[in-house]
Amino acid sequence: MSNKINIVLTVLLLGCALSLVNAQYRARHLFIDLERAQALSKQLDIEWAQLQLDQSTLGKHARIEEIARRDLGMTPLTPNRTQYLTEGEP
Amino acid sequence: MMRASGGNGSARVARSKGVSFSKSPVLAVRLPPWRSRLVMIVLFLAFGALAARAVWLQGVSTQFLQKQGEIRYARTLELPATRGKITDRNGQVLASSIPVKAIWAIPDDVLQAPKEKLRALAALLEMPESELRKKLDSDRNFVYLKRQVEQDVADKIARLDIEGIDTRKEYKRFYPQGEVTTHVVGFTNVEDVGQESMELAQQKTLVGTPGTRRVIKDRLGHIVEDIGAKHEPHDGKDLTLSIDSKIQYIAFTQLKAAVEKFHAKAGGAVVLDVHTGEVLALANYPSYDPNDRRSLTGAQLRNRVMTDSFEPGSTLKPITVALALDSGRVKPNTYIDTGPGKFTILDRTISDTKAHGVINVQQIIEMSSNIGTSKIALSMPSQEMWEMFTKVGFGQQPKWGFPGAVAGRVRPYKSWRPVEQATMSYGNGISVSLIQLARSYMMFARNGDTIPLSFQKVSELPQGQQIIKPETAREMREMLETVVSGKDGTAKQAQIPGFRAGGKTGTAYKVENGRYAMPRKYIGSFVGIVPMSAPRFIIAVMIDEPTQGGHYGGQVAAPTFAAVAANALRALNVSPDSSVTEIVIPADTGPEAM
Repeated sequence: MSNKINIVLTVLLLGCALSLVNAQYRARHLFIDLERAQALSKQLDIEWAQLQLDQSTLGKHARIEEIARRDLGMTPLTPNRTQYLTEGEP
Repeated sequence: MMRASGGNGSARVARSKGVSFSKSPVLAVRLPPWRSRLVMIVLFLAFGALAARAVWLQGVSTQFLQKQGEIRYARTLELPATRGKITDRNGQVLASSIPVKAIWAIPDDVLQAPKEKLRALAALLEMPESELRKKLDSDRNFVYLKRQVEQDVADKIARLDIEGIDTRKEYKRFYPQGEVTTHVVGFTNVEDVGQESMELAQQKTLVGTPGTRRVIKDRLGHIVEDIGAKHEPHDGKDLTLSIDSKIQYIAFTQLKAAVEKFHAKAGGAVVLDVHTGEVLALANYPSYDPNDRRSLTGAQLRNRVMTDSFEPGSTLKPITVALALDSGRVKPNTYIDTGPGKFTILDRTISDTKAHGVINVQQIIEMSSNIGTSKIALSMPSQEMWEMFTKVGFGQQPKWGFPGAVAGRVRPYKSWRPVEQATMSYGNGISVSLIQLARSYMMFARNGDTIPLSFQKVSELPQGQQIIKPETAREMREMLETVVSGKDGTAKQAQIPGFRAGGKTGTAYKVENGRYAMPRKYIGSFVGIVPMSAPRFIIAVMIDEPTQGGHYGGQVAAPTFAAVAANALRALNVSPDSSVTEIVIPADTGPEAM
């Protein structure tokens, strides 16, 4: 009788031990994935900041004005050649 | 081979002889008993030594050993925190931190490197080879070669593969709008600590707190798992300024053009939002590029709008007149005799540009009569005037969270002599900063109340503090409009096509070392409100020491006001409140009283 219990317990113990190994293995893998994802998120954050900076640099008003005047031949708007449309008026 | 086969042969021989192994006569030799005992004792001693060693390792020195073990696989990683961004009110980035590298070296190791590599390194670091060698000629084990090197350059340096060169992660702050916004935004030093303006004022909220985490690393340096608690890094908070970068750009370029046109020493301009008290633009010229501060001078660094106080001159007259109107001492159509243009109090003579004769209060403002304002001022107790100046913020330390903002100077009323009370009424003998001056007009633009200014975007409207009656504010607005559009107005050049504008010019002598500078140096200023039908902006402009093409506020500052206002109104889609779209401005608006 006690022999049978011992065998059952041994089998259980082995099962537990193997599942622990398996769990540990999967935890390592998930951890590596998490690490990678976090590194990527960090990298993307930096990229986002860099892009925002680029947007601000390229959208500098001085640059826009220069391009508008020189390359596109634009001139500033004045009220005497503006038609104002006011809501509610005929 | 030979011996082995021989042995086998003899065993076989023994078996064939029929003698059993145990009875072999060779084994019958008796050994002395102490020998086996000695072996046993030695064995026991060896076991004892092993047991003692095990007890020592497991019991006594276990902590030390575990610690040593941990040192070999556990690492504490620094988790850096990024400094918050600074953006304008519409989210455009004005300052942002990007990770870069600091290049450092162990001099002795680097000097072993081949010459070509050092030359390439010097080229990448943008320094002459001699300078690089000078840096490496050091007894220390650690030398920074260059800090804040951008990532792609750092990668190229790493590819050179020079022994003893390493990098350290750090952040560099970039200011994409450069010289345009720098007097509001400020800058940080290489340690990422704010040095000027909002970067300095908001250092505590902008800076992040770095975190740490303990991990186990494997042989290849990969992180295997976390041990212990992780201290999360907290990035600095982003800061949204009240500045509108479009209006800021307009103010800066117009101011720059004016300073260059009038060959002035410097200039300042500020645009306030009447409803929220937000500072929409604050420009100074000369300015500097915060991304490259190598040749920075004090004059460029100076934030004249905030930190310089000056005698405002006639721009102060409306405040004196508003007090008289509010206390019922005069009405806009009350006539005052300004006489022949000269008015003597004791030993001092106050003069106008010409004899205006008998004019009413509205004309006193329109033509900027010193005598008229003085006479109004002398009819009031000095204490009331002092209280008025204090209420609008003159002589008071501003609490707008901007480093270095000056309080200006208003002497206690008890020490005022009558002549001083008269000169103060038109802005001499009192000093204010341009932003204080602009804010004092808040009570005219609003309905007699004033609100605190803010350099950060305001989410709810601030509570106003009533200073004059709404009726007085309305009368003052009408008077200020005549300065710009009246036939004798001193600021005809402040007219804006399509909009009604109002304001007041000011021209003052500069004070140097406690007395008026000789030969005369001037400060021309203009504070204006637009559009008059529903005030939206207060714009103040100050031109310091104009030397060519005029020096009166109406000549040097008013056109800048008009240009800034016209563009700002258009930029924010404010609809015109005047049908006058063609404006012919007289070439010379004439002199103005000082």
